[in-house]
Amino acid sequence: MGPLVPNEVIGANWNFLIAFVIGIGFGFVLEQAGFSSSRKLAGMFYGYDTVVLKVFFTGAITAMLGLLFFSLFGWINLNLVYVNPTYLWSAIIGGVIMGVGFIAGGFCPGTSICAAAIGKIDAMIFIGGIFLGVFIFGEGFPLWEKLYYAMDLGAPKLNQVLGISGGFFAFLVIIAAAIMFWVGEWAEKKFPREEY
Amino acid sequence: MRARNITVGIMLLLGLVIAMVPENTTKPYKLTADQLLRAVNTGTHMIHPDYLAEWLINKDPSIQLVDVRSPDDFEKYHLPNAINIPLADILNPDYQVIWDQGVKFNVLYSNGSTDSNEAWMILRQLGYQNLGVLMGGLNYWTEVIMNPEEPPVTSPNDEIAKYEFRKGASQALGGGAATTKTATTDTEIKKPKIVPRKAKKAPQGGC
Amino acid sequence: MNNKYMNPYLAGFLLGIVLLMAFFFSGRGLGASGAVKSALVYGMDKVAPTHTVENAYFGHYVADDANPLNNWLVYEILGVIVGGFLSGALSRRLKLKIEHFPGISSKRRLVFALIGGVLFGFGSQLGRGCTSGSALTGMAVLSVGGFVTMAAIFGTAFAGAYFFRKNWIG
Repeated sequence: MGPLVPNEVIGANWNFLIAFVIGIGFGFVLEQAGFSSSRKLAGMFYGYDTVVLKVFFTGAITAMLGLLFFSLFGWINLNLVYVNPTYLWSAIIGGVIMGVGFIAGGFCPGTSICAAAIGKIDAMIFIGGIFLGVFIFGEGFPLWEKLYYAMDLGAPKLNQVLGISGGFFAFLVIIAAAIMFWVGEWAEKKFPREEY
Repeated sequence: MRARNITVGIMLLLGLVIAMVPENTTKPYKLTADQLLRAVNTGTHMIHPDYLAEWLINKDPSIQLVDVRSPDDFEKYHLPNAINIPLADILNPDYQVIWDQGVKFNVLYSNGSTDSNEAWMILRQLGYQNLGVLMGGLNYWTEVIMNPEEPPVTSPNDEIAKYEFRKGASQALGGGAATTKTATTDTEIKKPKIVPRKAKKAPQGGC
Repeated sequence: MNNKYMNPYLAGFLLGIVLLMAFFFSGRGLGASGAVKSALVYGMDKVAPTHTVENAYFGHYVADDANPLNNWLVYEILGVIVGGFLSGALSRRLKLKIEHFPGISSKRRLVFALIGGVLFGFGSQLGRGCTSGSALTGMAVLSVGGFVTMAAIFGTAFAGAYFFRKNWIG
Protein backbone atom coordinates (compact mmCIF):
# COMPACT_ATOMS: atom_id res chain seq x y z
CA MET A 1 0.00 0.00 0.00
CA GLY A 2 2.25 2.79 1.19
CA PRO A 3 4.23 4.83 0.47
CA LEU A 4 1.31 6.07 -1.53
CA VAL A 5 3.01 8.28 -4.09
CA PRO A 6 5.99 6.06 -5.01
CA ASN A 7 3.58 3.12 -5.14
CA GLU A 8 1.36 5.10 -7.51
CA VAL A 9 -1.69 4.77 -5.29
CA ILE A 10 -1.83 8.55 -5.44
CA GLY A 11 -0.81 10.37 -8.58
CA ALA A 12 2.58 12.04 -8.56
CA ASN A 13 0.99 15.41 -9.24
CA TRP A 14 -0.47 15.35 -5.74
CA ASN A 15 2.96 15.04 -4.25
CA PHE A 16 3.66 18.77 -3.98
CA LEU A 17 0.29 19.44 -2.39
CA ILE A 18 1.01 16.68 0.12
CA ALA A 19 4.42 18.24 0.73
CA PHE A 20 2.76 21.57 1.42
CA VAL A 21 0.24 20.10 3.87
CA ILE A 22 2.93 18.08 5.64
CA GLY A 23 5.03 21.23 5.80
CA ILE A 24 2.19 23.07 7.52
CA GLY A 25 2.05 20.31 10.12
CA PHE A 26 5.81 20.40 10.51
CA GLY A 27 5.95 24.17 10.93
CA PHE A 28 2.99 24.20 13.29
CA VAL A 29 4.43 21.55 15.57
CA LEU A 30 7.89 23.13 15.60
CA GLU A 31 6.45 26.48 16.56
CA GLN A 32 4.13 25.03 19.19
CA ALA A 33 7.03 23.15 20.72
CA GLY A 34 8.95 26.40 21.10
CA PHE A 35 11.51 25.71 18.41
CA SER A 36 11.01 29.22 17.11
CA SER A 37 13.08 30.51 20.00
CA SER A 38 16.84 30.30 19.72
CA ARG A 39 17.20 30.69 23.46
CA LYS A 40 15.01 27.65 24.00
CA LEU A 41 16.98 25.66 21.45
CA ALA A 42 20.34 26.68 22.86
CA GLY A 43 19.09 25.88 26.35
CA MET A 44 19.55 22.25 25.47
CA PHE A 45 23.31 22.68 25.50
CA TYR A 46 23.41 24.45 28.85
CA GLY A 47 20.92 22.16 30.52
CA TYR A 48 18.38 24.83 31.40
CA ASP A 49 15.85 23.75 28.78
CA THR A 50 15.97 20.33 27.22
CA VAL A 51 12.86 20.64 25.11
CA VAL A 52 14.92 19.97 21.96
CA LEU A 53 16.04 16.64 23.30
CA LYS A 54 12.52 15.62 24.26
CA VAL A 55 10.83 16.72 21.07
CA PHE A 56 13.57 15.43 18.82
CA PHE A 57 13.80 11.98 20.31
CA THR A 58 10.08 11.54 20.90
CA GLY A 59 9.52 12.53 17.27
CA ALA A 60 12.21 10.25 15.86
CA ILE A 61 11.04 7.31 17.97
CA THR A 62 7.38 7.85 17.12
CA ALA A 63 8.18 7.81 13.42
CA MET A 64 10.57 4.88 13.84
CA LEU A 65 7.96 2.79 15.67
CA GLY A 66 5.30 3.92 13.22
CA LEU A 67 7.35 2.73 10.26
CA LEU A 68 8.12 -0.59 11.92
CA PHE A 69 4.48 -1.22 12.78
CA PHE A 70 3.24 -0.04 9.39
CA SER A 71 5.69 -2.43 7.80
CA LEU A 72 4.58 -5.24 10.10
CA PHE A 73 0.95 -4.71 9.10
CA GLY A 74 1.94 -4.52 5.45
CA TRP A 75 0.82 -0.89 5.16
CA ILE A 76 4.11 0.39 3.90
CA ASN A 77 6.87 -1.08 1.79
CA LEU A 78 10.05 0.02 3.48
CA ASN A 79 12.03 -0.73 0.34
CA LEU A 80 10.37 2.26 -1.26
CA VAL A 81 11.15 4.60 1.61
CA TYR A 82 14.17 6.75 1.06
CA VAL A 83 17.11 5.92 3.30
CA ASN A 84 19.82 8.54 3.46
CA PRO A 85 23.06 7.34 1.94
CA THR A 86 26.00 7.26 4.28
CA TYR A 87 29.29 8.82 3.33
CA LEU A 88 31.03 8.48 6.63
CA TRP A 89 33.54 11.31 6.57
CA SER A 90 31.26 13.95 5.14
CA ALA A 91 28.55 12.92 7.61
CA ILE A 92 30.92 13.36 10.56
CA ILE A 93 32.63 16.55 9.41
CA GLY A 94 29.40 18.04 8.11
CA GLY A 95 27.79 17.22 11.44
CA VAL A 96 30.63 18.85 13.38
CA ILE A 97 30.36 22.02 11.29
CA MET A 98 26.60 22.04 11.81
CA GLY A 99 27.11 21.52 15.53
CA VAL A 100 29.27 24.67 15.74
CA GLY A 101 26.67 26.48 13.64
CA PHE A 102 23.96 25.34 16.03
CA ILE A 103 25.63 26.65 19.17
CA ALA A 104 26.73 29.86 17.44
CA GLY A 105 23.48 30.63 15.69
CA GLY A 106 20.98 29.01 18.00
CA PHE A 107 18.93 27.58 15.17
CA CYS A 108 18.97 24.80 12.64
CA PRO A 109 17.54 25.39 9.15
CA GLY A 110 14.04 24.06 9.86
CA THR A 111 13.61 25.94 13.09
CA SER A 112 15.02 29.15 11.66
CA ILE A 113 12.42 29.15 8.89
CA CYS A 114 9.73 28.55 11.48
CA ALA A 115 11.08 31.35 13.67
CA ALA A 116 11.35 33.74 10.73
CA ALA A 117 7.68 33.03 10.00
CA ILE A 118 6.70 34.57 13.33
CA GLY A 119 8.97 37.56 12.92
CA LYS A 120 12.30 36.69 14.54
CA ILE A 121 14.83 38.91 12.81
CA ASP A 122 17.79 36.86 14.07
CA ALA A 123 16.24 33.85 12.33
CA MET A 124 15.99 35.78 9.06
CA ILE A 125 19.67 36.66 9.31
CA PHE A 126 20.40 33.00 10.06
CA ILE A 127 18.56 31.99 6.87
CA GLY A 128 20.63 34.53 4.97
CA GLY A 129 23.64 32.79 6.43
CA ILE A 130 22.42 29.41 5.20
CA PHE A 131 22.12 30.78 1.69
CA LEU A 132 25.65 32.08 1.92
CA GLY A 133 26.93 28.78 3.34
CA VAL A 134 25.29 26.71 0.61
CA PHE A 135 26.64 29.14 -1.98
CA ILE A 136 30.18 28.83 -0.62
CA PHE A 137 29.90 25.05 -0.59
CA GLY A 138 28.71 24.92 -4.20
CA GLU A 139 31.21 27.44 -5.54
CA GLY A 140 34.13 25.78 -3.85
CA PHE A 141 32.86 22.28 -4.52
CA PRO A 142 36.01 21.01 -6.27
CA LEU A 143 37.97 21.78 -3.10
CA TRP A 144 35.94 19.39 -0.94
CA GLU A 145 34.62 17.08 -3.60
CA LYS A 146 36.93 14.29 -2.46
CA LEU A 147 35.74 14.60 1.11
CA TYR A 148 32.13 14.77 -0.07
CA TYR A 149 32.40 11.33 -1.67
CA ALA A 150 34.84 9.73 0.76
CA MET A 151 33.91 6.41 2.37
CA ASP A 152 30.71 5.66 0.58
CA LEU A 153 28.94 2.99 2.62
CA GLY A 154 25.79 2.89 0.51
CA ALA A 155 22.59 3.32 2.49
CA PRO A 156 23.03 0.92 5.40
CA LYS A 157 20.72 0.71 8.35
CA LEU A 158 22.32 0.77 11.74
CA ASN A 159 20.50 -2.34 12.94
CA GLN A 160 21.85 -4.29 9.96
CA VAL A 161 25.37 -3.14 10.76
CA LEU A 162 24.88 -4.34 14.32
CA GLY A 163 23.23 -7.54 13.10
CA ILE A 164 19.99 -7.13 15.06
CA SER A 165 16.39 -6.69 14.00
CA GLY A 166 14.96 -3.23 13.42
CA GLY A 167 12.46 -3.78 16.22
CA PHE A 168 15.07 -4.71 18.78
CA PHE A 169 17.20 -1.78 17.74
CA ALA A 170 14.25 0.58 18.17
CA PHE A 171 13.78 -0.84 21.65
CA LEU A 172 17.39 0.02 22.50
CA VAL A 173 16.93 3.55 21.18
CA ILE A 174 13.85 3.92 23.37
CA ILE A 175 15.77 2.85 26.45
CA ALA A 176 18.54 5.30 25.59
CA ALA A 177 15.96 8.04 25.09
CA ALA A 178 14.29 7.24 28.43
CA ILE A 179 17.62 7.69 30.19
CA MET A 180 18.29 10.95 28.34
CA PHE A 181 14.85 12.30 29.21
CA TRP A 182 15.48 11.52 32.84
CA VAL A 183 18.89 13.22 32.78
CA GLY A 184 17.39 16.16 30.90
CA GLU A 185 14.69 16.77 33.46
CA TRP A 186 17.20 16.43 36.24
CA ALA A 187 19.35 19.07 34.50
CA GLU A 188 16.41 21.40 34.08
CA LYS A 189 15.93 21.38 37.83
CA LYS A 190 19.60 21.89 38.43
CA PHE A 191 20.03 24.83 36.03
CA PRO A 192 17.22 27.24 36.74
CA ARG A 193 15.98 29.51 34.03
CA GLU A 194 13.87 32.54 33.78
CA GLU A 195 10.73 32.41 31.72
CA TYR A 196 11.00 34.23 28.41
CA MET B 1 7.18 14.53 34.74
CA ARG B 2 3.85 12.78 34.28
CA ALA B 3 4.04 13.36 30.56
CA ARG B 4 7.48 11.84 30.53
CA ASN B 5 6.38 8.73 32.35
CA ILE B 6 3.42 8.23 30.05
CA THR B 7 5.52 8.82 26.93
CA VAL B 8 8.33 6.57 28.03
CA GLY B 9 5.89 3.92 29.22
CA ILE B 10 4.01 3.75 25.95
CA MET B 11 7.19 3.80 23.90
CA LEU B 12 8.77 1.04 25.95
CA LEU B 13 5.66 -1.08 25.62
CA LEU B 14 5.44 -0.65 21.87
CA GLY B 15 9.19 -1.06 21.58
CA LEU B 16 8.99 -4.34 23.44
CA VAL B 17 6.25 -5.55 21.09
CA ILE B 18 8.14 -4.58 17.97
CA ALA B 19 11.33 -6.12 19.34
CA MET B 20 9.52 -9.42 19.85
CA VAL B 21 7.74 -9.83 16.56
CA PRO B 22 9.64 -11.01 13.53
CA GLU B 23 10.15 -8.47 10.80
CA ASN B 24 7.75 -8.45 7.92
CA THR B 25 9.82 -9.60 5.01
CA THR B 26 6.99 -10.78 2.81
CA LYS B 27 7.03 -9.52 -0.71
CA PRO B 28 3.87 -7.55 -1.18
CA TYR B 29 1.61 -8.61 -3.98
CA LYS B 30 0.94 -5.74 -6.31
CA LEU B 31 -2.04 -7.13 -8.19
CA THR B 32 -5.39 -7.89 -6.69
CA ALA B 33 -6.95 -11.25 -7.38
CA ASP B 34 -9.38 -9.54 -9.78
CA GLN B 35 -6.63 -7.96 -11.81
CA LEU B 36 -4.78 -11.21 -12.07
CA LEU B 37 -7.88 -13.12 -13.05
CA ARG B 38 -8.51 -10.62 -15.80
CA ALA B 39 -4.96 -11.06 -17.07
CA VAL B 40 -5.35 -14.83 -16.99
CA ASN B 41 -8.68 -14.68 -18.78
CA THR B 42 -7.56 -12.48 -21.62
CA GLY B 43 -4.62 -14.81 -22.12
CA THR B 44 -2.63 -12.13 -23.89
CA HIS B 45 0.50 -13.32 -22.14
CA MET B 46 0.38 -16.58 -24.11
CA ILE B 47 2.87 -16.40 -26.93
CA HIS B 48 2.20 -18.68 -29.88
CA PRO B 49 5.27 -20.58 -31.17
CA ASP B 50 4.83 -18.98 -34.59
CA TYR B 51 5.28 -15.56 -33.12
CA LEU B 52 8.24 -16.61 -31.08
CA ALA B 53 9.87 -18.25 -34.09
CA GLU B 54 9.42 -15.08 -36.06
CA TRP B 55 11.10 -12.99 -33.37
CA LEU B 56 13.92 -15.47 -33.00
CA ILE B 57 14.61 -15.53 -36.71
CA ASN B 58 14.62 -11.76 -36.80
CA LYS B 59 16.92 -11.82 -33.81
CA ASP B 60 14.68 -9.34 -32.09
CA PRO B 61 16.88 -7.88 -29.36
CA SER B 62 13.95 -6.99 -27.14
CA ILE B 63 12.98 -10.61 -26.57
CA GLN B 64 14.55 -12.47 -23.70
CA LEU B 65 13.88 -16.18 -23.45
CA VAL B 66 13.83 -17.55 -19.94
CA ASP B 67 14.02 -21.28 -19.41
CA VAL B 68 12.43 -22.14 -16.06
CA ARG B 69 13.37 -25.82 -16.18
CA SER B 70 16.15 -27.40 -14.18
CA PRO B 71 19.76 -26.65 -15.12
CA ASP B 72 20.13 -30.28 -16.27
CA ASP B 73 17.31 -29.97 -18.75
CA PHE B 74 18.67 -26.65 -19.82
CA GLU B 75 22.07 -28.22 -20.50
CA LYS B 76 20.53 -30.88 -22.70
CA TYR B 77 18.48 -28.59 -24.83
CA HIS B 78 17.34 -25.02 -24.79
CA LEU B 79 16.11 -22.47 -27.23
CA PRO B 80 18.74 -20.19 -28.74
CA ASN B 81 19.99 -17.45 -26.43
CA ALA B 82 17.73 -18.52 -23.60
CA ILE B 83 18.83 -17.97 -20.04
CA ASN B 84 18.13 -20.47 -17.30
CA ILE B 85 16.24 -19.46 -14.17
CA PRO B 86 14.77 -22.58 -12.58
CA LEU B 87 11.27 -22.14 -11.22
CA ALA B 88 12.52 -22.56 -7.66
CA ASP B 89 14.90 -19.63 -8.08
CA ILE B 90 12.72 -17.01 -9.66
CA LEU B 91 12.56 -14.97 -6.46
CA ASN B 92 16.29 -15.03 -5.96
CA PRO B 93 17.38 -11.40 -5.59
CA ASP B 94 20.13 -11.99 -8.16
CA TYR B 95 17.51 -12.36 -10.86
CA GLN B 96 15.54 -9.31 -9.91
CA VAL B 97 17.21 -7.28 -12.63
CA ILE B 98 15.81 -9.70 -15.20
CA TRP B 99 12.24 -9.12 -14.06
CA ASP B 100 12.37 -5.56 -12.90
CA GLN B 101 13.10 -3.75 -16.12
CA GLY B 102 11.36 -2.06 -18.97
CA VAL B 103 13.47 -2.79 -22.04
CA LYS B 104 13.02 -6.49 -22.74
CA PHE B 105 10.07 -8.79 -23.02
CA ASN B 106 10.65 -12.00 -21.09
CA VAL B 107 9.19 -15.14 -22.62
CA LEU B 108 9.07 -17.91 -20.04
CA TYR B 109 9.03 -21.51 -21.15
CA SER B 110 9.20 -24.99 -19.69
CA ASN B 111 8.49 -28.42 -21.17
CA GLY B 112 4.75 -28.03 -20.96
CA SER B 113 3.35 -24.72 -19.90
CA THR B 114 2.53 -25.49 -16.28
CA ASP B 115 5.82 -24.45 -14.73
CA SER B 116 6.19 -21.38 -16.87
CA ASN B 117 2.62 -20.39 -16.12
CA GLU B 118 3.21 -20.72 -12.42
CA ALA B 119 6.32 -18.60 -12.67
CA TRP B 120 4.41 -16.04 -14.70
CA MET B 121 1.65 -15.86 -12.14
CA ILE B 122 3.97 -15.31 -9.20
CA LEU B 123 6.02 -12.72 -11.00
CA ARG B 124 2.99 -10.96 -12.31
CA GLN B 125 1.51 -10.71 -8.84
CA LEU B 126 4.69 -9.12 -7.63
CA GLY B 127 4.00 -6.41 -10.14
CA TYR B 128 6.60 -7.24 -12.78
CA GLN B 129 5.56 -6.55 -16.31
CA ASN B 130 6.79 -7.51 -19.77
CA LEU B 131 6.24 -11.19 -19.17
CA GLY B 132 4.93 -13.81 -21.55
CA VAL B 133 4.63 -17.57 -21.60
CA LEU B 134 5.42 -19.79 -24.55
CA MET B 135 2.12 -21.41 -25.39
CA GLY B 136 2.31 -25.17 -24.87
CA GLY B 137 5.94 -25.00 -23.89
CA LEU B 138 8.74 -26.85 -25.61
CA ASN B 139 6.45 -29.79 -26.40
CA TYR B 140 4.18 -27.72 -28.53
CA TRP B 141 7.15 -25.83 -29.94
CA THR B 142 8.68 -29.08 -31.18
CA GLU B 143 5.40 -30.17 -32.64
CA VAL B 144 4.63 -26.93 -34.40
CA ILE B 145 7.98 -25.49 -35.35
CA MET B 146 10.50 -28.30 -35.33
CA ASN B 147 8.38 -30.98 -36.96
CA PRO B 148 5.66 -29.13 -38.77
CA GLU B 149 3.06 -31.33 -40.36
CA GLU B 150 2.64 -30.70 -44.02
CA PRO B 151 -0.90 -29.66 -44.74
CA PRO B 152 -2.75 -31.39 -47.56
CA VAL B 153 -2.35 -29.61 -50.87
CA THR B 154 -5.98 -28.73 -50.85
CA SER B 155 -5.52 -26.51 -47.83
CA PRO B 156 -6.13 -22.81 -48.06
CA ASN B 157 -3.14 -20.73 -49.07
CA ASP B 158 -2.40 -19.31 -45.69
CA GLU B 159 -2.17 -22.77 -44.19
CA ILE B 160 0.48 -23.59 -46.73
CA ALA B 161 2.24 -20.32 -46.13
CA LYS B 162 2.27 -21.06 -42.45
CA TYR B 163 3.76 -24.45 -43.10
CA GLU B 164 6.42 -22.96 -45.31
CA PHE B 165 7.29 -20.52 -42.61
CA ARG B 166 7.48 -23.19 -39.95
CA LYS B 167 9.67 -25.32 -42.13
CA GLY B 168 11.96 -22.40 -42.69
CA ALA B 169 11.97 -21.58 -39.03
CA SER B 170 12.71 -25.13 -38.16
CA GLN B 171 15.75 -25.09 -40.37
CA ALA B 172 16.88 -21.73 -39.12
CA LEU B 173 16.45 -22.50 -35.46
CA GLY B 174 17.23 -26.16 -35.48
CA GLY B 175 20.69 -25.54 -36.83
CA GLY B 176 19.84 -26.31 -40.46
CA ALA B 177 21.91 -24.35 -42.93
CA ALA B 178 19.08 -23.76 -45.35
CA THR B 179 18.15 -20.19 -46.09
CA THR B 180 15.19 -19.05 -44.16
CA LYS B 181 12.13 -18.01 -45.85
CA THR B 182 10.90 -14.87 -44.26
CA ALA B 183 7.47 -15.16 -42.90
CA THR B 184 4.82 -14.08 -45.28
CA THR B 185 1.91 -14.84 -43.09
CA ASP B 186 -1.00 -12.55 -43.73
CA THR B 187 -1.73 -11.97 -40.12
CA GLU B 188 0.54 -9.32 -38.81
CA ILE B 189 2.45 -10.64 -35.89
CA LYS B 190 1.75 -8.36 -33.06
CA LYS B 191 4.64 -7.86 -30.79
CA PRO B 192 3.72 -7.40 -27.19
CA LYS B 193 4.16 -3.84 -26.15
CA ILE B 194 6.96 -3.45 -23.73
CA VAL B 195 5.87 -1.49 -20.74
CA PRO B 196 8.62 0.87 -19.77
CA ARG B 197 9.50 0.51 -16.16
CA LYS B 198 8.26 3.43 -14.21
CA ALA B 199 11.42 4.76 -12.75
CA LYS B 200 10.77 4.41 -9.07
CA LYS B 201 12.66 7.56 -8.41
CA ALA B 202 14.10 7.36 -5.00
CA PRO B 203 13.14 10.66 -3.49
CA GLN B 204 16.03 13.02 -3.40
CA GLY B 205 18.21 13.43 -0.38
CA GLY B 206 17.02 15.08 2.73
CA CYS B 207 17.84 18.50 3.77
CA MET C 1 -5.22 28.71 22.55
CA ASN C 2 -2.97 29.88 25.33
CA ASN C 3 0.44 31.22 24.58
CA LYS C 4 2.39 28.65 26.54
CA TYR C 5 4.42 26.18 24.56
CA MET C 6 3.07 22.74 24.04
CA ASN C 7 4.18 19.87 26.25
CA PRO C 8 7.41 18.69 24.62
CA TYR C 9 6.44 15.02 24.64
CA LEU C 10 3.13 15.77 22.99
CA ALA C 11 4.89 18.01 20.47
CA GLY C 12 7.41 15.27 19.83
CA PHE C 13 4.67 12.75 19.28
CA LEU C 14 2.93 15.05 16.80
CA LEU C 15 6.24 15.73 15.06
CA GLY C 16 6.71 11.98 14.74
CA ILE C 17 3.23 11.62 13.24
CA VAL C 18 3.97 14.37 10.70
CA LEU C 19 7.22 12.64 9.79
CA LEU C 20 5.46 9.28 9.56
CA MET C 21 2.88 10.78 7.22
CA ALA C 22 5.67 12.14 5.03
CA PHE C 23 7.01 8.59 4.78
CA PHE C 24 3.59 7.08 4.27
CA PHE C 25 2.49 9.46 1.54
CA SER C 26 5.68 10.47 -0.22
CA GLY C 27 8.17 7.81 0.86
CA ARG C 28 10.57 10.41 2.15
CA GLY C 29 11.23 12.35 5.29
CA LEU C 30 11.28 16.00 6.20
CA GLY C 31 13.95 18.51 5.35
CA ALA C 32 14.81 22.15 5.27
CA SER C 33 18.16 23.13 3.84
CA GLY C 34 17.39 21.40 0.55
CA ALA C 35 14.74 24.03 -0.07
CA VAL C 36 17.28 26.77 0.58
CA LYS C 37 19.57 25.14 -1.95
CA SER C 38 16.75 24.99 -4.51
CA ALA C 39 15.91 28.64 -3.98
CA LEU C 40 19.56 29.58 -4.21
CA VAL C 41 20.07 27.65 -7.43
CA TYR C 42 16.95 29.23 -8.86
CA GLY C 43 18.26 32.68 -8.05
CA MET C 44 21.73 31.91 -9.37
CA ASP C 45 20.23 30.57 -12.56
CA LYS C 46 18.38 33.85 -13.07
CA VAL C 47 21.46 35.97 -12.42
CA ALA C 48 24.20 33.91 -14.08
CA PRO C 49 22.73 30.97 -16.02
CA THR C 50 25.90 29.76 -17.71
CA HIS C 51 27.88 29.90 -14.54
CA THR C 52 25.21 27.93 -12.67
CA VAL C 53 24.91 25.21 -15.28
CA GLU C 54 28.66 24.79 -15.34
CA ASN C 55 28.96 24.56 -11.59
CA ALA C 56 29.89 21.04 -10.56
CA TYR C 57 27.55 21.02 -7.58
CA PHE C 58 24.59 23.14 -8.63
CA GLY C 59 24.69 22.34 -12.32
CA HIS C 60 22.54 19.24 -12.36
CA TYR C 61 19.67 21.03 -10.64
CA VAL C 62 19.24 23.26 -13.66
CA ALA C 63 20.32 20.77 -16.32
CA ASP C 64 17.85 20.38 -19.19
CA ASP C 65 16.10 23.57 -18.13
CA ALA C 66 14.79 21.90 -15.01
CA ASN C 67 13.19 24.24 -12.55
CA PRO C 68 14.90 23.74 -9.20
CA LEU C 69 11.81 25.06 -7.44
CA ASN C 70 9.83 22.02 -8.59
CA ASN C 71 10.99 20.15 -5.59
CA TRP C 72 9.19 18.40 -2.76
CA LEU C 73 11.19 20.23 -0.11
CA VAL C 74 10.39 23.65 -1.56
CA TYR C 75 6.67 23.01 -1.17
CA GLU C 76 7.20 21.49 2.23
CA ILE C 77 9.09 24.59 3.40
CA LEU C 78 6.35 26.86 2.08
CA GLY C 79 4.08 24.79 4.30
CA VAL C 80 6.45 25.26 7.25
CA ILE C 81 6.24 29.03 6.83
CA VAL C 82 2.44 28.88 6.76
CA GLY C 83 2.27 26.40 9.65
CA GLY C 84 4.71 28.34 11.78
CA PHE C 85 2.84 31.57 11.10
CA LEU C 86 -0.52 29.99 11.97
CA SER C 87 0.84 28.58 15.20
CA GLY C 88 2.42 31.92 16.11
CA ALA C 89 -0.83 33.72 15.35
CA LEU C 90 -2.88 31.31 17.44
CA SER C 91 -0.53 31.55 20.38
CA ARG C 92 -0.06 35.32 19.96
CA ARG C 93 3.65 35.12 19.32
CA LEU C 94 3.78 37.11 16.09
CA LYS C 95 6.22 39.90 16.68
CA LEU C 96 9.14 41.36 14.80
CA LYS C 97 12.03 41.13 17.19
CA ILE C 98 15.59 40.11 17.70
CA GLU C 99 15.60 37.56 20.43
CA HIS C 100 18.75 37.24 22.47
CA PHE C 101 20.17 36.68 25.89
CA PRO C 102 19.86 40.04 27.72
CA GLY C 103 23.60 40.06 28.43
CA ILE C 104 24.57 40.62 24.79
CA SER C 105 23.73 43.27 22.23
CA SER C 106 21.36 42.71 19.33
CA LYS C 107 24.21 43.32 16.95
CA ARG C 108 26.27 40.59 18.50
CA ARG C 109 23.30 38.23 18.30
CA LEU C 110 22.86 38.96 14.61
CA VAL C 111 26.54 38.52 13.82
CA PHE C 112 26.54 35.13 15.49
CA ALA C 113 23.26 34.19 13.81
CA LEU C 114 24.87 34.93 10.47
CA ILE C 115 27.97 32.91 11.32
CA GLY C 116 25.81 30.04 12.55
CA GLY C 117 23.75 30.16 9.37
CA VAL C 118 26.81 30.07 7.14
CA LEU C 119 28.21 27.10 9.05
CA PHE C 120 24.89 25.30 8.98
CA GLY C 121 24.45 25.98 5.28
CA PHE C 122 27.90 24.65 4.51
CA GLY C 123 27.68 21.70 6.88
CA SER C 124 24.26 20.63 5.67
CA GLN C 125 25.55 20.35 2.12
CA LEU C 126 28.63 18.42 3.17
CA GLY C 127 26.62 16.17 5.48
CA ARG C 128 23.81 15.70 2.94
CA GLY C 129 21.15 17.06 5.21
CA CYS C 130 20.57 19.05 8.35
CA THR C 131 18.96 18.26 11.67
CA SER C 132 15.61 17.52 10.07
CA GLY C 133 16.71 15.98 6.79
CA SER C 134 19.59 13.88 7.96
CA ALA C 135 19.41 13.47 11.72
CA LEU C 136 15.67 13.27 12.44
CA THR C 137 14.60 11.57 9.22
CA GLY C 138 17.69 9.40 9.10
CA MET C 139 17.14 8.18 12.64
CA ALA C 140 13.54 7.26 11.92
CA VAL C 141 14.62 4.99 9.05
CA LEU C 142 17.54 3.70 11.17
CA SER C 143 20.05 5.05 8.67
CA VAL C 144 23.67 4.86 9.80
CA GLY C 145 24.29 8.32 8.35
CA GLY C 146 21.36 9.71 10.31
CA PHE C 147 22.72 8.53 13.63
CA VAL C 148 26.26 9.62 12.78
CA THR C 149 25.13 13.11 11.76
CA MET C 150 22.89 13.39 14.81
CA ALA C 151 25.72 12.41 17.14
CA ALA C 152 28.13 14.78 15.39
CA ILE C 153 25.75 17.77 15.53
CA PHE C 154 24.68 17.39 19.13
CA GLY C 155 28.05 16.17 20.34
CA THR C 156 29.83 19.17 18.83
CA ALA C 157 27.21 21.60 20.07
CA PHE C 158 27.57 20.23 23.59
CA ALA C 159 31.33 20.29 23.38
CA GLY C 160 31.33 23.81 21.99
CA ALA C 161 28.75 25.16 24.41
CA TYR C 162 31.43 26.27 26.81
CA PHE C 163 33.04 28.57 24.24
CA PHE C 164 29.80 30.26 23.36
CA ARG C 165 28.42 30.55 26.89
CA LYS C 166 28.68 34.36 26.89
CA ASN C 167 26.10 34.45 24.12
CA TRP C 168 23.52 32.39 25.93
CA ILE C 169 23.98 32.30 29.68
CA GLY C 170 26.54 35.03 30.26
